[in-house]
Amino acid sequence: MHYARIIITLTLAFLTLAGPWPATAEEEFVTALTGKFPPFSYYDKQGNLAGFDVDVSREIAQRINQKSQIIATEWDGILAGLLAEKYDAIIGSMAITPVRQESVDFSTPYYHSGAQLFIHRDNPNKVYSISECNGLRIAVVLGETYQHFLEEKFPDVEVVTLKSGAEIFAMLEQKRITGFVTDRLVGAWQVKEAGRPFVSVGDMLYKERIGIPVRKDRPELLGQINKALAAMEDDGTMQRIHQRYFGLGKTSSSKLGTMEPSVIATKLLKGFAVSLGIAFAAILLGFALAVPCGLLLTFRHGSLKPIHFLIRAFVDFIRGTPVLIQLLFVWLGLGFAPFPAAILTLGICAMAYMAEVVRAGLMSVDPGQDLGAKALGLSPVDRFRFVVWPQAFRIAIPPLMNCVVSLIKDTALVSIISIPELIREAQSIISVTFEPGLYYLIAGLMFFAVTFPLMKLSDRVERSIKAKGFAHD
Amino acid sequence: MIEVQNVAYTYADGTKAVNDVSMTFPEQGIFAVMGLSGSGKTTLLNCIARFLSPKQGEIILDGQDIQEMKEIDFRQQVGVVFQHLNLFPHMNVLENMMLALERVQGKTKAAAKAESLEMLERLNIAELAQSYPAQVSGGQAQRVAIARGLALKPKFMLLDEPTSALDAATTSDFARWLRELQAFTSFIIVTHDLPFAEQTAEQGVFMESGQVQERGTLAEVLKNIDRC
Ligand SMILES: Nc1ncnc2c1ncn2[C@@H]1O[C@H](COP(=O)(O)OP(=O)(O)OP(=O)(O)O)[C@@H](O)[C@H]1O
Ligand SMILES: [Mg+2]
Repeated sequence: MHYARIIITLTLAFLTLAGPWPATAEEEFVTALTGKFPPFSYYDKQGNLAGFDVDVSREIAQRINQKSQIIATEWDGILAGLLAEKYDAIIGSMAITPVRQESVDFSTPYYHSGAQLFIHRDNPNKVYSISECNGLRIAVVLGETYQHFLEEKFPDVEVVTLKSGAEIFAMLEQKRITGFVTDRLVGAWQVKEAGRPFVSVGDMLYKERIGIPVRKDRPELLGQINKALAAMEDDGTMQRIHQRYFGLGKTSSSKLGTMEPSVIATKLLKGFAVSLGIAFAAILLGFALAVPCGLLLTFRHGSLKPIHFLIRAFVDFIRGTPVLIQLLFVWLGLGFAPFPAAILTLGICAMAYMAEVVRAGLMSVDPGQDLGAKALGLSPVDRFRFVVWPQAFRIAIPPLMNCVVSLIKDTALVSIISIPELIREAQSIISVTFEPGLYYLIAGLMFFAVTFPLMKLSDRVERSIKAKGFAHD
Repeated sequence: MIEVQNVAYTYADGTKAVNDVSMTFPEQGIFAVMGLSGSGKTTLLNCIARFLSPKQGEIILDGQDIQEMKEIDFRQQVGVVFQHLNLFPHMNVLENMMLALERVQGKTKAAAKAESLEMLERLNIAELAQSYPAQVSGGQAQRVAIARGLALKPKFMLLDEPTSALDAATTSDFARWLRELQAFTSFIIVTHDLPFAEQTAEQGVFMESGQVQERGTLAEVLKNIDRC
């Protein structure tokens, strides 16, 4: 069947495009950061990664004679990614803590900072230090050290965890939180560069040493990094980089708050193309697997019973667990590269739901149809191929469309495994422009522009099936 | 010739639907298997069409036990039209007819089409060729289902309750139409519609509680059951 061939070709083509990713080739120094932590990491006007950590990363790569490759990923999975060998090091403003030191080795600190409480300058709650914040909502980025610190030292503070600084700043501007705790430098820079109506209050909650974690089995790399850092300190490079972002006066007024409209449009469209590409590949994979699985699910008795049970259990398991967990399991647990992990996970997930739909479609075809075809002498394969399947498929089209729509929406989840799809691109734009309302709305509308016609189409097919009198009951 | 010899069939729940039945279907003509509802007619038909295996007795087609025939040979000699017809709703009438000609008899698409059209023409329903099953009347659907079976040129055609979807007026038309088809094949019609049987069949049996009550020419059978 040439369908199968098309599906396999497309899937392979997509996997080829996706890989090798990330290339942990010998000569590349692959580092990770979030791209959402200005001025340490953010996207500039042209949509490229920039910031203090980016400059440090490139400088180190140059000094150890390797090509710099920087991956933007989510903060809450960034250490797991390092342990899963997705990159060589994290140069993303990570504080050195004993807990982290249990799993990774840190370089010597490349800068010092500390945790600072920031509040709205209107100060509606009249607080002047963290100890006055009991019962008030204080935000931190999920997974940052500040979260554990607050929970331990100030258990009566209501800690709100959000995905990125941009969300926190927007929340505080709307006064939906009392304040936030972040790095002193980051917060100060926000106030200065973005003209945010925030002020810092109280002393630093604690001081932090920021280092570069590498896996414990890479002592030689750690040595090289430390050597490079020492040299950068000695020859003033580190000082120069620091000046670039924290020097007196505005660093460069164009750095923040703006991004060329064409860059924004390109980022959104590219991101959406990635989302749809993943959705397309996953749907093809899912459907190709769903047909045989759905068919096997109809054999509850007879010699195929054991296979039926296995598939039943697998389908139930997939349907009963969060896609996010499946995604992280395949990415970090099984060690797949992000694109294959996304396509495989969403494909299998689509298979589970579609197999159920295919099964229901097959069951709703009048058994008399198969009997009628048998009476004409058709072989079992022909009966399925020409009589039962075409009817089951037509019945299944509307619910299959629903699966397709869900799957397209589920691609939003793959941002978590550092794939530059629409949501991630929107976040990177927001981290520069600080307009979450606008760009999340646009991203939502882009999805809707694709899902709405599919939903309408499914309605039409459903009506025409009813008119033709398929399916008994 | 089909000989049914001492056939019995009992369903899994213990219902003795057919109980030691014997009868002979001639090479030519229309034979009626009559009986009240629940008398075992459909069960017997399913045994003859090999959809059920009798628990006892044999069914012999031209000297051969049907249980021992190859599926493909058997299906081409004995055609069946079920009570619910089971036309394929996603195919038009022509495609319904062509499918088995192509897939079972291995004819080319062109040949299958030509033969199907010719058959529809001879059965006076050529105008239905492009219609879908949902678009034709009950009587037309019945004829289409018979045409689909006849296209394979079987020796015998089994029809289960062919008049169940027809009213009295169309039933007479249908009976006349069916009588003209005797030239193609011999029919075994299973029906509880005695007037219809009288209009079509020469010979028949009358069943009751899974057994043959009366047998002979239609006139004899009808006369005898009237008497009881
Ligand atoms: N699948 C089945 N399982 C159990 N009993 C059945 C089954 N099919 C039919 N029967 C029973 O077998 C007996 C004969 O049924 P059958 O359908 O052969 O009768 P019939 O003469 O064709 O009736 P009708 O005129 O209503 O079509 C009935 O008592 C019926 O209830
Ligand atoms: Mg019956």
